[in-house]
Amino acid sequence: MLDVRSDEPEYSFLWDKETKAVNQHGNLIDLIDEDSELHCQSLNINGDPGIGDNPNRYKQHGFFLNADNCIGCHACEAACSEKNDNPAHIAFRSVGFVEGGTYPDYQRINISMACNHCDDPVCLKGCPTRAYTKYAEYGAVLQDPDICFGCGYCTWVCPYNAPQLDPVKGQVTKCNMCVDRLEVGLKPACVSACLGNALDFGVVENIPENRIEAKTAIPGFPTTDITQPNIRFQQTRSTHREMTRTDAMPMKYHKDDSVGIFKPKVDKKSGDKKHFNWRKLLTSHESAHVIFTLSTQAVLGAFLIIVSAGLINIEALSALNSSAVKLPLLGIMFSLLTYGLFKLNMHLGKPHRFYRGFNNLRLSPLSREIAGVSGFYTFLMAYGFFSIFDNTLFNFLANASGVLGALSGLIGLYYMYKIYRIKARPFWDHWQTGSAFFGNTVSFGALLTGLISLPLISNEQALLALASPLMVLIALGLGLELIGHIAHSRAMGSLENEGAASWYLQTTQYGKAWITRNVLLGLSFATALLLLVTAPGGNLAFTAWWTLALLMISAGAISRSLFFVLVIPTTMPGAFFWKNKAFEEHARESGLVDMEQVGVVRELHGKFKLDELLETIRTTSPSTLYRHIKDIVVWKKIR
Amino acid sequence: MLLGRNTKNPIVMVDKKITEWTYSTCGYCSVGCSIEIGKNAEGKIVGSRGVGGADVNRGKLCVKGIFEHELFDSAGRGDKPIIREQIGEAYRETSWDDALDTMADKIRDIQQKHGRDSFAIVSTGQLLTEEFYTLGKLTRGVIGTNNYDGNTTLCMASAVSGYKRSFGSDGPPGSYEDFDHTDVLMAWGSNLPEQHPIIYWRMKEAQEKRHFPLIVVDPRVTMLAQNADIHLAVTPGTDVVLQNAIMHVILDEGLEDRAYIEANTVGLEQLESEVAKFDPDSASKVCGIDPDTIRNVARIYAKADAAMSIWTMGINQSTHGSDGVVGINNINLLTGNIGKPGGTSLSITGQCNAMGTREWSSCSGLPGYRALENPQDREDIAKYWNVDPEFFPKKRGLAETDIFPAIELGEIKGLWLVATNPMTSLPNTARIRKTLEKLDFLVVQDSYADVETVQYAHLYLPAATWAEKEGVFTNTERRVNIVRKATDAPGESKSDLAIFNALAQRFEQSAKMNFPDKPAAVFEEMKSLSKGRLLDISGMSHDLIEEKRGIQWPYTAEEAERGEEPLQGGKRLYTENGTFSFADGMAKLVPLPFIDNNEVPDEKYPYWLNTGRLVEHFHTRTKTGKIGNNNKYSPIPFMEINPDAARELGIQHQDYVRCVSRRGDAIVMAMCTQRVPKDMVFIPFHFFDCVNRLTLGLLDPHSRQPAYKQSAVMIEPIADQQAAAQMSRERRAF
Repeated sequence: MLDVRSDEPEYSFLWDKETKAVNQHGNLIDLIDEDSELHCQSLNINGDPGIGDNPNRYKQHGFFLNADNCIGCHACEAACSEKNDNPAHIAFRSVGFVEGGTYPDYQRINISMACNHCDDPVCLKGCPTRAYTKYAEYGAVLQDPDICFGCGYCTWVCPYNAPQLDPVKGQVTKCNMCVDRLEVGLKPACVSACLGNALDFGVVENIPENRIEAKTAIPGFPTTDITQPNIRFQQTRSTHREMTRTDAMPMKYHKDDSVGIFKPKVDKKSGDKKHFNWRKLLTSHESAHVIFTLSTQAVLGAFLIIVSAGLINIEALSALNSSAVKLPLLGIMFSLLTYGLFKLNMHLGKPHRFYRGFNNLRLSPLSREIAGVSGFYTFLMAYGFFSIFDNTLFNFLANASGVLGALSGLIGLYYMYKIYRIKARPFWDHWQTGSAFFGNTVSFGALLTGLISLPLISNEQALLALASPLMVLIALGLGLELIGHIAHSRAMGSLENEGAASWYLQTTQYGKAWITRNVLLGLSFATALLLLVTAPGGNLAFTAWWTLALLMISAGAISRSLFFVLVIPTTMPGAFFWKNKAFEEHARESGLVDMEQVGVVRELHGKFKLDELLETIRTTSPSTLYRHIKDIVVWKKIR
Repeated sequence: MLLGRNTKNPIVMVDKKITEWTYSTCGYCSVGCSIEIGKNAEGKIVGSRGVGGADVNRGKLCVKGIFEHELFDSAGRGDKPIIREQIGEAYRETSWDDALDTMADKIRDIQQKHGRDSFAIVSTGQLLTEEFYTLGKLTRGVIGTNNYDGNTTLCMASAVSGYKRSFGSDGPPGSYEDFDHTDVLMAWGSNLPEQHPIIYWRMKEAQEKRHFPLIVVDPRVTMLAQNADIHLAVTPGTDVVLQNAIMHVILDEGLEDRAYIEANTVGLEQLESEVAKFDPDSASKVCGIDPDTIRNVARIYAKADAAMSIWTMGINQSTHGSDGVVGINNINLLTGNIGKPGGTSLSITGQCNAMGTREWSSCSGLPGYRALENPQDREDIAKYWNVDPEFFPKKRGLAETDIFPAIELGEIKGLWLVATNPMTSLPNTARIRKTLEKLDFLVVQDSYADVETVQYAHLYLPAATWAEKEGVFTNTERRVNIVRKATDAPGESKSDLAIFNALAQRFEQSAKMNFPDKPAAVFEEMKSLSKGRLLDISGMSHDLIEEKRGIQWPYTAEEAERGEEPLQGGKRLYTENGTFSFADGMAKLVPLPFIDNNEVPDEKYPYWLNTGRLVEHFHTRTKTGKIGNNNKYSPIPFMEINPDAARELGIQHQDYVRCVSRRGDAIVMAMCTQRVPKDMVFIPFHFFDCVNRLTLGLLDPHSRQPAYKQSAVMIEPIADQQAAAQMSRERRAF
């Protein structure tokens, strides 16, 4: 247990005498039932078997911020980083601000924010490695960086930017509620360090002494219905009607008198001018996701077509059943998918820990996507292998692999779509994500099939017979994608939140690239229709298919890049330098990043540490492995 | 609930495994927080924490203090003396003996050729008081130059001068405890949350227990101004006009404390006739505060049972700095608000030991608030040090800001800088560069070898910093607090005390004098010289200071002998009628005529340039610029500019822009904010080759402190943002 020094000041001690039963989200503040087996267990902090004597140990705790009082002095951030030994570029707690009014009637509201240890921890549910746990003790949501493999998905789903992805260590870390201090009755380090008497901590819904309210929101704080966060605010001073952000995010907050709260609105910080912005668009750190999603979708589409051709007797597709056509096609599909998976895996902070992606099958769509795509990859290989031989057994095995591959691939695709339905990322949280993914699966699958197989078919009639249904599929896929884009544009344009901000960037900063995409996609669709009607043969067919391919691939690459670059999460407002994406980008471009005290690091890729992987394989006993697998499958929610 | 897994995972948290805490006093600002430095079993320093039982900070630390332990192995520290014949040549490493022999020879040589005063010494507010005292002894008693000053001229000289003019002596009369008693607090050009966050917290604690109105005078909407009950957005450089108008209302409406004035002051008539000219209606045209508000503020302040004023650089760094301090004192004397709980004029000092240098360094006189102009003082010190009293000059020599122009004129040929960085800190960098080029011999003694002034030095001496040595600091509320040694200095660095002593040995005159090696022995000399004086510390000892977590002076040997414990806090000066430091015991009410001599915006240079401090940085960033968890909040210089002005100039938020004054230009990143008015920009002063390329720094006639906060500039957008970024980047070695 932590040593409490003899002169520890009174303000450092927790103060909750009485507690409420239910919080403002309607959840019980008592985290476990009276007879729960979870009572009186040690938290095992650094191997210490001690059990804290905090009387409110099993009640949900949370931070309290009196935003009227925060002076933005950074003491909370510093105390946190000192305690947790964080380097400059990592902070579990950050202070940003919103400002409003006109000199001298100017007002700045500082917001100090860490993890809100939510009732519904989306980080925990999203994490594929099961690095997160919500504890019965204090309701703390703790993350174990040793388990984390650095995919950063928790940083996508959290609306408050609480989990911190460290590109240097290749892992996420976050606020740990200072549970070691809570165990001995002390408030978290940040709270004890507060110099504005702004930050406090206790059992949630308890209002500290001298404070009068415990609101769930203040301007700049994202909507609470996503995660039911355990933070409460006081903000009684009159605010200006409009509060703006100093960071680059094109968002501001407008007071809505009818409900008395602030609502996000687009702040057109960079005007209305349209740009191409190719370099930023096509070289973003997320390009690995662009390559992975597009290649997986194309390969899956092609696979579905080939497997269907083998299983169902469709005359037009029968050309695909010949080994001379099928095997080269499968070979190319395998290479393409391998490349996509490689790009994705090497995008991880710890690529050699890829196998941990299955840990959270029970909760995480990402885990399920990984499982689905891995299954698909495996069955694709099996299908390819069995297809080499032509006898009944192998044909059966090939067909079985085909069915299983198609199933797991479709499951993978569905969860690939579900991954992006993140409430904290309104630009993605729309059915268009699905129409694009499924549409691309169909259109690129057919395109891939056609591009590879058609030149291998010598029979003109068979070629025409195959080209026609493939072109139907391409047109269908593109049509579906187009309808999605139209609906998405309408939806985003009429929003007022971060989705609208993304829409603003889409039509300005990336406006010309977006228009280019629209033209290319329209042309692709038109070309597909034209080819469908004219059904050209010979060299003309060859030229037409490659023209269509160029159009579709360009449109697809731009489209998917826009999807990743444009998303604006519902994060907390940053400051002018710290937690300002534009300054971080500038630091990387200008070389300021080379001074580590600037607090920005380059976007690095993790190293595949084979020795660490081998060490794990060597030291993991079969029983440990069995228990681990059992834990993935058999899982209970304990109260 | 247990959500996420079936069985609990053990929790891993950072454990620094600190086995030993060393008591110390923070070495950044003058608040004087007690801090403990944590060491692990391997002896490595890994943490710091505020001392819970210390009255000043009660367990708290600010963002700088929390990471102060990272100083010890921060980049850029010097570890060997280095020397060269001429600037422009490469330095070579040398031995301490060789370095100090050369230094002593050069000093003698320059003094022989050009006179004793042709070698100047500029020190700091960063050393320990024992070191200041020793440097004073070396300078006044051995080297004998009268051109000796501290860089406190850049920050606190106006407060010193103002205190002396009003009360007859330096020494802030109040205490942090006054926040607990006051009924109104007026902050003049002081932004506590940014500059002195721990004092802000003490104030906030007091205010939450018992609300009192806070009035803030500041042209910027700082966090303190925003939190004020009344914010007076004064026109830069016109505080004296506002003060005179406030006094006009007080006297006009008979709100003054007649009994107090009669028992404690002289000069009421002259003051009355001067302030009569400053009716609120005319004054408002100059100072920008409307007449009703002036009357309102005057009434609130005068009618309060206890009212206090604090101030910092907003007052001090102005051509009317000393007058501004006197003005605050005048108001407090008129309303009977000196020497009583909650009633005071409390200057909030800058550096950790600005007070120590004022008290004991002999910069502006002789130790223990003694004056060169006073024959008895010269006699007493000469006797105590065993030097000829005639060796002492009979009046104070040049201040730092006059030493540099004297170098420019060729009157001063050699300079020794101790823990100060004029290349970044003095106004008009271009002029300072030219000035430094003219020196025959420049010694820079500093903890950091990359302090920018080293570019112009001939000899660099690596010094220990902060808790690499032992001794005391005095804080803003006159609290003497101790720094204990927590670790060794890097390489061959020596403590400043050891350097002074070693240099003294190289002069014949020191042979008959005493230069103790141990800080505690030096402290004994100071105690003995403090007996019976305003700053009596004779009841203290290093150990007692640590035990009490700092002791406010005066604390006398008599009190200690009587067994009277030092107060925990709340010790005040001038608590009895007629006990001010002038011979007659009366404080002076000094009339303050106003002459507007500032560089004000005009057509060519249409913006006020205001400068100031950021909470995460200290002075010229030689320390905080290397500590990531400080530096990251402002790693490059920026400029607050009003968005309406930016729009007219075609400047976007976060663009690099060029600021031009009559002295030079600077490149900064624009931060558009309504915190500043449309005709003003604000640039923090911490950055090398930045705002001081622009500042004019007219000098206050009394204190010789530069007016950093009142210059005029023009602003230009930069078309080539990439080139600007590169230029800005090249100017940041850290």
